[in-house]
Amino acid sequence: MGLREDLERYREVGERAREDLAAFVQYGDLRPSAEDAISVPVKLVDLPEFAYDERARGGVGRAEDGPPRPGQPVGEPEPAAGDGDGDGDEDGKGDEAGDGHAGHETYEMNPAEFAEALDDRLGLDLEPKGKAVRERTTGDYNDVARTGPKGTLDFERLFKQGLKRTLATDFDEAYVTEALRVADWDVDDVFRWARGQSIPVSRAWLERRASDLDEPDRWDTIDAMEAACEMESTATRVRRDGVEDVALRRDDERYRHPEIREEKRKSVVVVNIRDVSGSMREEKRDLVERTLAPLDWYLSGKYDEAVFCYVAHDAEAWEVERAEFFGLRSGGGTRISAGYEFAAELLEEYPWREWNRYVFAAGDGENSHNDSEERVVPLMAEIDANLHAYVEVQPGTARRSNHGAVVEDAFGGGDDVAVARVHDEGDVLDAIETILASETEADE
Amino acid sequence: MTTDTDRLDKQRVADRLDGVARDARALAEKLGLDPYDVHYWIVDHDEMNELIAYGGFQTRYPHWRWGMEYDRQRKQSRYLGGKAFEIVNNDDPAAAFLQESNALADQKAVITHVEAHSDFFANNRWFGLYADEPAAAATLERHAETIEGHMNDPEIDRAAVESFVDSVLCVEDVIDQHRPYADDAPECEGEPADLAARLDDLGLSEDVQRQVFEDGWAEGREAADEREAETDLLAFLARHGKAYDEEAGKAVEYADWQRDVIEILRREAYYFAPQKQTKVMNEGWAAFHESLMMGEEAFAGADEFVDYADHQSRVLNSSGLNPYALGKQLWEYVENTANRREVVERLLRVEGVTWRTFHEAVDFDAVQDALAPPDAIDSISPETLDALDRVDDRYVDHDALDRARGGEIDVARHPWKALTTAGLARRHYSLVKPRYRGFLRSISRAELERTARYLFDDARYATVADALAAVDFEAGWERMRTVREDHNDVTFLDEFLTQEFVDANGYFAYEFSRATERYHATSTDADAVKKKLLLRFANFGKPTVVALDANHRNRGELLLGHEYNGVAIDLPQAKRVLERLFELWGRPVALRTITTEVPERELERARRQGVEPETEEVGLVVRYDGESFEETELGADETAALRADAVDYDTTPADWPS
Repeated sequence: MGLREDLERYREVGERAREDLAAFVQYGDLRPSAEDAISVPVKLVDLPEFAYDERARGGVGRAEDGPPRPGQPVGEPEPAAGDGDGDGDEDGKGDEAGDGHAGHETYEMNPAEFAEALDDRLGLDLEPKGKAVRERTTGDYNDVARTGPKGTLDFERLFKQGLKRTLATDFDEAYVTEALRVADWDVDDVFRWARGQSIPVSRAWLERRASDLDEPDRWDTIDAMEAACEMESTATRVRRDGVEDVALRRDDERYRHPEIREEKRKSVVVVNIRDVSGSMREEKRDLVERTLAPLDWYLSGKYDEAVFCYVAHDAEAWEVERAEFFGLRSGGGTRISAGYEFAAELLEEYPWREWNRYVFAAGDGENSHNDSEERVVPLMAEIDANLHAYVEVQPGTARRSNHGAVVEDAFGGGDDVAVARVHDEGDVLDAIETILASETEADE
Repeated sequence: MTTDTDRLDKQRVADRLDGVARDARALAEKLGLDPYDVHYWIVDHDEMNELIAYGGFQTRYPHWRWGMEYDRQRKQSRYLGGKAFEIVNNDDPAAAFLQESNALADQKAVITHVEAHSDFFANNRWFGLYADEPAAAATLERHAETIEGHMNDPEIDRAAVESFVDSVLCVEDVIDQHRPYADDAPECEGEPADLAARLDDLGLSEDVQRQVFEDGWAEGREAADEREAETDLLAFLARHGKAYDEEAGKAVEYADWQRDVIEILRREAYYFAPQKQTKVMNEGWAAFHESLMMGEEAFAGADEFVDYADHQSRVLNSSGLNPYALGKQLWEYVENTANRREVVERLLRVEGVTWRTFHEAVDFDAVQDALAPPDAIDSISPETLDALDRVDDRYVDHDALDRARGGEIDVARHPWKALTTAGLARRHYSLVKPRYRGFLRSISRAELERTARYLFDDARYATVADALAAVDFEAGWERMRTVREDHNDVTFLDEFLTQEFVDANGYFAYEFSRATERYHATSTDADAVKKKLLLRFANFGKPTVVALDANHRNRGELLLGHEYNGVAIDLPQAKRVLERLFELWGRPVALRTITTEVPERELERARRQGVEPETEEVGLVVRYDGESFEETELGADETAALRADAVDYDTTPADWPS
């Protein structure tokens, strides 16, 4: 229907969003807001209108506790999501508080969108390569199970069920007590009568209550009692007294549980190798991050499943977590082949026939004597991968460094090997383009 | 395959809801509402997102903005989880959409909510301004076809149509929403409208007139009218606008498709205007009745009540200003004050009770007891039906009572069926509800005196009991129905947002302080709160911009004026609008406004002394000639003409923050 087209057009109209993407990659805060998430603060394109100056406008708030004192600082007004035109009439969004204008919103881009936007920006059309493997995978947390890890417990449901149960087993105790006061009635009589009236009283309760009852013969017959007393509804009682204890029951516990699906997945493993030797100052580290991080997102957006390995090296190599990868700095010398040796070991777990592989290395081009020619180039040729890349960061200079040149000379720009040089932020996007454009079509 | 299952699923949901909808309608009518018929449609989650993106309709003209809304909607529902959305359209019959996957309790809540909206559409006069028979869905569909037709016309550049639509949308709210929509763009040359008379026709209260329009405003505007001041910018464009021809480098007459676009978007703006003008009232009205029907009349069954309470609290209990909660509180206040007034007027006619002695002479606990509904009405069950024979005939629906006795009506589930409107008013009488127990007693001396002054001395009562026997228990609901017919958000807030209301509900105004670079609460004064609220709801919450001259500088340039009310316009954004307007005018466009500036030296002084800096108001005209902007300061007279002297929405006190 029409909306599909409107959505397409929206993406196209987002010219500014793409500009923002470039700016973001070059200057934005790349640290993810959550595990696996990319927060790309892309401005939502909207049409201008005559509006009040946001700050001059002020607003109205509602005190949560106690009357507010004039002069007291109040929080920043929240932007009202969707508090747009009020066309139609949408209920159920309790988030209309605040006076904000919806024109300056940002949204979290997910990797797939990021990849798509980057494709648009760079004019790329990289299709993930086959290598499909049938795999058991887990999906959204949509299923429920009766057991599971504590963190997945649906407490809202548990509480609601408990509350319902509490209300359902509630009865007017005073009223039932009066029934016990009917002459010649024993617990059995009252129990039968209560069941007939659908009063959820237990026998045990009746027995307990009957044991210390004053005035056991207040009423001659049950009819007399019923005529004189009136049963109070649960609703009335709850309104007056509230609900004290909510009986939470194990039976009501439900744990959210991922759906298990079987499907074909396109999987990728990306090995990031970085020189962490003494010469890698902060400026260089930052440029490496700006180049490698978007590549990671791009690839995780392109593939169903993406695994990332981070290898740090000076003269030795070791594996690190992503969080520390870009910030690391050690004192040692540099031997790039140590990184590739380690990478080759890691990749044994990801067989080439099932996995797409990318090996990205980054550094300032320095290497120990003859290591590039004698060890790195042969290792690169040996390791099967969709793409090998070397990102050379050299702030402020245009010097052709040793390692990058050696790799270029050895592979001559072909064979899915790319060398990209980054001197400042302005080069980042070009570098990314150079690398991604070097991958040739799948040949299998 | 799946569509068949889908359809069956929807059919099943629909069948289950059929009886619910019928009962809801019956209950709504018993509560005194008179809604348009409502056609309910069951839709799935995706369809619901699409409807929301389209502003509640199934077909709209092609535009990327719907795509943007859809995208946002999808993301929101993905990350925030499914919510019980409801959509209802102002139409006769009204069309409402229910989401298939909602729990039954949610569906019931939505249906009761929708019935109240439908009543509002049918009876509020601002909706009547657009048309007596809106035929909205059909109109919007026709619009979609027309615009799509132009876009697909090989003679017309699709991108040009899109861009033109964008430009018109930038000023879609610059219409005269206080006037009925007329098909022909109104001519204002030669017949300056009698504004003063028109204002009177609007039925605004004295207070509003004072609040919104300073004395002599109408006369001043009429004088301006001679210079063609026009609040309906879209109509003005249709009359005088031209397109800019890039190749020729000059203005040319609109093409037919351009006229179509302007008129279509103008008509849609008028169609949606009443909804935007009555958001607080309409949502409050729906929330009030939903709560009455679902909560107090137990339309949610005992097992659904918890789900419903959960739903309700999510909608109403968000922090900050929430139009739903504000509207509901105001309606409750209208109900309470009308009921209180009725009771007080009766009590003041009792021998020995005057406004001076009221609080001492009246035993409020006894009054509460007397006002409480009789047991037979308060709790109705199959066993207590006979008790209904003993209450006042006006309260009991005897026909229904007979059917209840015959087992045709289940009063255990629907006790309200045995009562009349009067009976339900008695049953839900607001002043005896626990949360309003103190409301009667809390009436101020001033209010008592005012009531006493205008009291007709047509009846006297010997005792309090006699006086209370004469109380009209429907006074609150009757007053509410009258108010829902005549008011819009501006007049509603103006009339009912009293100090008593503001105090009871904890509202306060806040402003941005240039000294601290933060927002601060400024006041809990009802006037200040009202100003800030009116700023948000009057004129769609946007600054008033009018067309002043179609032949500015004697060169056919467009001159707009921003009617300054103490709050500045967002100038960078306004400039972007001017760029767009150039496309619609074909010649240079200019906007006169007043900006507030703080000289660096003053900012320094204020910071040193710890006070708020004094701002300077500077008149400015911003002109865009198709290529660049030019800003010129205005002379004193021209600046003064923009300023609305009697209105100032700035509530910043001079002496804060201290």
